[in-house]
Amino acid sequence: MSEHILEAHTLEEHEALIPQANWFERSETLQKLRKNKKFPTIWCSGCGIGVVMGALIRAIDHLGLKNDDVALVAGIGCTARMPVYMDFNTLHTTHGRALAFATGLKIARPDMKVIAIMGDGDALAIGGNHFIHAARRNLGITALVVNNAIYGMTGGQYSPTTPVGGKATTAPYGNVEPPFPVCELAIAAGATYVARSTVYHALELDKFLAEAIAKDGFSLVEAVSYCHTTYGRLNKLGTAADMMRALKDNTIAKPTFDKLSAEEQAANTKIVRGNFVNIERPQYTNVYSNLITRVQGGEK
Amino acid sequence: MAEVAVVPGQPQSAAPPVRKGPRGEVVIYATWCKGCHICVEFCPPKVLEMGPSDNHPKVVHPEKCTACHFCDTHCPDLAIVVRKLE
Repeated sequence: MSEHILEAHTLEEHEALIPQANWFERSETLQKLRKNKKFPTIWCSGCGIGVVMGALIRAIDHLGLKNDDVALVAGIGCTARMPVYMDFNTLHTTHGRALAFATGLKIARPDMKVIAIMGDGDALAIGGNHFIHAARRNLGITALVVNNAIYGMTGGQYSPTTPVGGKATTAPYGNVEPPFPVCELAIAAGATYVARSTVYHALELDKFLAEAIAKDGFSLVEAVSYCHTTYGRLNKLGTAADMMRALKDNTIAKPTFDKLSAEEQAANTKIVRGNFVNIERPQYTNVYSNLITRVQGGEK
Repeated sequence: MAEVAVVPGQPQSAAPPVRKGPRGEVVIYATWCKGCHICVEFCPPKVLEMGPSDNHPKVVHPEKCTACHFCDTHCPDLAIVVRKLE
């Protein structure tokens, strides 16, 4: 595989060629990239989605899953370009319908680890209906929602997770709609594993993604990212590195948050990151196969 | 596995480690890099610096690297590989 990546990596004159033994073999991340894909990625310079992609590859690598046992389903958007660069089974679907296609795939192949990769608009606006119903059924799907608070690919329209007061191209005087709390929505809809982390806390994201993929039930991981080219530019939040530093400063870990008093918790404006829910409920494909066995056996 | 393109910098492992603890070696794939400065701004021991003319970082202080893996886990373009030295 490494030779293919090397072929995709075209050399330039200013690069010195130094023989180094087994660089690619030592990198877990580069091993799982798609063999013959043109790199670099299409994302803007410094976009956090690439960090999430690295975290997802490391999480799958940590679980020791084979490439053929994992299916990535994605819709439309910046985030949904992610499966294009990874060497797993991939399904590129219509806007917002990643979870709908993933539902069919999971029911047809219950042995497969199905991961639906969505952006915030993809998951909550266009595909909001599929999102709550996949959580209600408790299908064994991992939903990875990369939340950058804006529709990046189409030019910076405000999305269901844009904060109140945040400027967007369709909200030039500031957004007036309250945002969707993604994790709380999933908990209320019945998800069995819900966690939130940011692209700054990439190793924590690895851990949550590995736990979510291993979980037999609907699991949601919200990866808080940023869009510095539209949201950051309109709201004067600086470069990609500045926005990543802001994620470091404006988040609070859940154990720390739980120790705060009730007044402090109510006044908290920081993003709480951590594992919110980890419960057991009957998983849909198990219930369904039990039903098939029962009915075919002639029982009522 | 033949050859890997590396940004020209100072020769690796030229100076002996100045303090105890793990050491690392950084390789940057310049053609995958888009020059977002994240690795340069966050590197704790300031191993990396942006090149004067090229739009990608260079390893200017290889002896300071402690193999903390911040740069390779946070590189959005997966253009950095850090190897822990024995």
